[in-house]
Amino acid sequence: MRRGKYPFIIGFLIVPVALYCTFVVAAYLQTFQLSLTNWSGLGPIEYVGFDNFVKLWHDELFWKSIRHNIFVLILLPIVTIILALVFAFLLNVGGGHKGGQTRGVWGSKVYRVIFFFPQLLALAIVAVIFGRVFGPDKSGMINGLFPADWKPWLFLADERYAMLCILIVLIWQAVGFYVVLFSAGMGSIPAEIYEAAALDGATRITLFFRITIPLLWNTVQVAWVYLGIAAFDCFALVNIMTVDRGGPNGASSVLSLMIYRNAFEFSQAGYASALGVVLFFLTLTFAALTLRVTRRESVEA
Amino acid sequence: MTEIFTQPAVDRRTLLRRAAAVGLLATPAVGMLSACVGGGSDDSSSEQATGTKSADNPLGIDPKTGVEIVIFNGGLGTAYATDVDTPLFNKKWPDAKITYSATEQISTTIQPRINAGNPPDMINNSGSNLMDFGAIVKANQAAELTDLFAAPSLDVPGKTVADTLVPGAIEQGTYNGKPYAVNYSYTVFGLWYNKKLFEKNSWTIPTTWADFTALLDKIKAAGITPFGYAGANASYYMVRALLTSAAKIGTEQVLKDIDNLKEGAWQNDAIKQAAQAWGEIGNKYINKTFLGLKHTEVQLQQDQDKVAFYPCGSWLENEQAKDTPPGFEYAIAPYPSVTTADKLPATAINAAAGEIYFAAAKGKNPQGGKEYLRTMLSKEAALGFTKLTKSLTVVAGASDGVTISPGLTSANDAITKAGKDIFMGYLFDTWYKKLDDESRGAVNDLMFKGGDAQKFCDRMEKASQAVAKDSSVTKFTRS
Amino acid sequence: MTNLTSTPGLDATAAPVATKARSAGRKSDTKRDINAFTGLAHIGLVIWALVTAGPLIWVLLASFKSNTEIFLGKPFALPEHFSFETYFNAWGEAHIGRYFLNSVVVVIISTAGTMLFGSMAAYVLARYKFRGNRFIYYLFVSGLAFPTFMALAPLFYILKNMGLLGTYTGLVLVYIAYSLPFTVFFLAAFFKTLPYEIEEAATVDGASHTRKFFQIMMPMAKSGLVSITIFNIVGQWNQYLLPVVIMTGPGAESKYLLTQGIANISTSAGYHAEWSTLFAALVLSILPMIIVYAIFQRQIQAGLTAGAVK
Repeated sequence: MRRGKYPFIIGFLIVPVALYCTFVVAAYLQTFQLSLTNWSGLGPIEYVGFDNFVKLWHDELFWKSIRHNIFVLILLPIVTIILALVFAFLLNVGGGHKGGQTRGVWGSKVYRVIFFFPQLLALAIVAVIFGRVFGPDKSGMINGLFPADWKPWLFLADERYAMLCILIVLIWQAVGFYVVLFSAGMGSIPAEIYEAAALDGATRITLFFRITIPLLWNTVQVAWVYLGIAAFDCFALVNIMTVDRGGPNGASSVLSLMIYRNAFEFSQAGYASALGVVLFFLTLTFAALTLRVTRRESVEA
Repeated sequence: MTEIFTQPAVDRRTLLRRAAAVGLLATPAVGMLSACVGGGSDDSSSEQATGTKSADNPLGIDPKTGVEIVIFNGGLGTAYATDVDTPLFNKKWPDAKITYSATEQISTTIQPRINAGNPPDMINNSGSNLMDFGAIVKANQAAELTDLFAAPSLDVPGKTVADTLVPGAIEQGTYNGKPYAVNYSYTVFGLWYNKKLFEKNSWTIPTTWADFTALLDKIKAAGITPFGYAGANASYYMVRALLTSAAKIGTEQVLKDIDNLKEGAWQNDAIKQAAQAWGEIGNKYINKTFLGLKHTEVQLQQDQDKVAFYPCGSWLENEQAKDTPPGFEYAIAPYPSVTTADKLPATAINAAAGEIYFAAAKGKNPQGGKEYLRTMLSKEAALGFTKLTKSLTVVAGASDGVTISPGLTSANDAITKAGKDIFMGYLFDTWYKKLDDESRGAVNDLMFKGGDAQKFCDRMEKASQAVAKDSSVTKFTRS
Repeated sequence: MTNLTSTPGLDATAAPVATKARSAGRKSDTKRDINAFTGLAHIGLVIWALVTAGPLIWVLLASFKSNTEIFLGKPFALPEHFSFETYFNAWGEAHIGRYFLNSVVVVIISTAGTMLFGSMAAYVLARYKFRGNRFIYYLFVSGLAFPTFMALAPLFYILKNMGLLGTYTGLVLVYIAYSLPFTVFFLAAFFKTLPYEIEEAATVDGASHTRKFFQIMMPMAKSGLVSITIFNIVGQWNQYLLPVVIMTGPGAESKYLLTQGIANISTSAGYHAEWSTLFAALVLSILPMIIVYAIFQRQIQAGLTAGAVK
């Protein structure tokens, strides 16, 4: 690289970096600072060192929440990606090959539109809808489908299944987007590769595992990171849908909900900031781990 | 948006009542507010309109200066301001132009104006987006209302404004001994039922616990869920029911001890007995699926006569107005006495003032703002408010003898019957939100999962002491 | 996606062979196999389509129902009365139309800004070596881990000090700033995968860095840009907390975004319990999105695919 490299680099970076530092970095530095105080959200600020972190170490709900976050962190990407890959495969390649072309199954365009629907809904609305889907009596959509003499499932009101219900909603909303994303990736795999493989007697299952997945691996990794980050959030759903917000008895509490409630309801801005710092490093660790894996085609020396 | 789906209407209204009493309210605006209000400009008290005080003009307003008011556009609507209060104000002061606006987001629209030293003169601080009133008082942004309450009432001859109000109304807006807010609406809490349904079945309202359970048995036999509340987001209605019973057993002192985080407060026999009694109701008469329902759903079920008794406040009738079928008439019953040795009579009831209105200290016309408040506190305006909003006011007896709605009439009767045995209730739920949170979980466990009263008391006692020992929590006391 | 560039030559050979094979007599086998497979495939797809569309149909039905029907009736029963009153309310009183346009304008500008600044930063970080490169890159990526609502209070002050509260400028800048982490992360990875040969050839021809970026790299990165654009549009469209904090102050009401408008209806839904109006507003806000998406679906798909086939 020669000729005006540095002016160019600076010219390209200055606006994004300035914006980012002003609005994002400045805000989170303040969070770090507050995590060392016992600030209530109002009034004077007093530094208490690492007291907040000691407190959260002993907070049962904190550990429960972490467990729930990890539960979502593991299952959300896996299930979503598998479903999205399968559907994308069916939509793009599932129809077999005719006239020298692999195609999706009949009606794939309609499916693609329908699958994308959930993306168009704000999470708060999704939560209201699924409140009805998981209705604990016969007026609930799922319970309503069962025979009248069945005892209704409590869903969110049952400590054992509350978190699972949240996971299902997250998956429901996410799959459509990744179908579109993976479809694009699959669309760019030359049809000839499939043709050649099919010629060797490969079944569609083999095609899927031997060709589609490896060629889409980069996209899958991006999806993984994005879903992982979404898994750390899931605040809106838990906040709106669950019994007593995060209940029953903490059965659906997650870190983001704890942060929100401590900051804005319990007047514990300092403690909330400490939780925020923990969440920050957890997400960062996750992202770093994933990046390590993704880095294989990095250019840096 | 999220709060809206998680919090029943009530929560907001009770919240603001408490906010008035306590001056501590955590909303997402909290962090911003303190600095905003605190950092507000003090140099803005530049030119405030005043007139000459006289018997006819006790607050000394300038009859020609306009008054700007902002009304929260929520459950109470805005018609009471535009159609009742403003015309009434202008009847007396035709040259003072009222500038009116309404908003759903009080904090976001008003707070910046307070900061800029340009607030409206009279503000209805309400809704989920209300301002922390304690912070406003602390920052000297609310006008002191001593002169307002001492002024003669607009339409009750020979009485001051203070004289015309229900007991405790002014105290709820008092900070460090000085009044800053008018808590205008008045809420009565109890067991709500369909009067017509009860008449049809000749079910009579019980006053003792034995009668209560006998009636619940009958109702159950009739195929109706005898008692219910929404566990998913309205379990604090149940907390209120339980603690009201406890107060009736052992007087309001039981609740004061709880609020003051006194050691052993939750182990009080009164609470244990109340928890025991309600736990049995939970075991026998509640529909277990209600744990997963929200307030809307249970209230709609009651409107369909699928639930007989529902613990709630007097806003219920108005909230359900659209969904109440013709054969349904709301009525309220006080909670029956748990024991024969209850210290308060069966008629004792829990009622409290709420909905903050205040005059901005640094507006252009604070006296005009107060005069508007005086107008609102007239008997005529109070009656108009009650008619339009189906909500009682703190103006005593303003709606006596007037038929407004069955539910409200019933609430009014309950207050009359209670006489001196009206108590404000407890404040720990706004003082210590974490304790409030624990009480919701604990009451759900009690009512839906076995009814172990001792477990309830232990769990609450532990949580209460944890709060007491937590130095990062600001403590409050009451007496 | 990169691996694809290493498979030239296939097209020349594979296709004819395949055609030959098909005519050679394994036709019936393949056909039966296809039928069984497509049958299964369709069942799976139909189920998922029902699962996704079901709740939306429910919203549509609910917009005509009374509260009692919504919460106590059979979920998919037809409403007792059909009346568009709720729709008129949502459109008229709740100004859903105006808020929708506001949202469209804001999201278009901020997504455009995000893409421009995001791709500039990502490009430089991915393909130029300089001191501090890694630091800036990780600074951006770490933003992924920062929960937005922790930033609400600090943000309010930052904007207030800059005099940007209640302005679209402020909102757009914040949207861009909060979209940068993922955009930079995604695009940097993408730019790294693009071939260096063309760029080097351009350098030899004397093209400036800036020209190389706009005329060579951007077109090559089309598919990556399209995917991340969609990510950003969807993310910014559904944003609620940020506009609530930023779009405040006198006169802000006319500048509300769609999510705020819907929230306002639900505020009154909490009080008056007018759920059907809420759902009507929802239908009004979703419909245009569905139509736009259905119309442009092919272009989106093509855009997503374009770069990689090269």
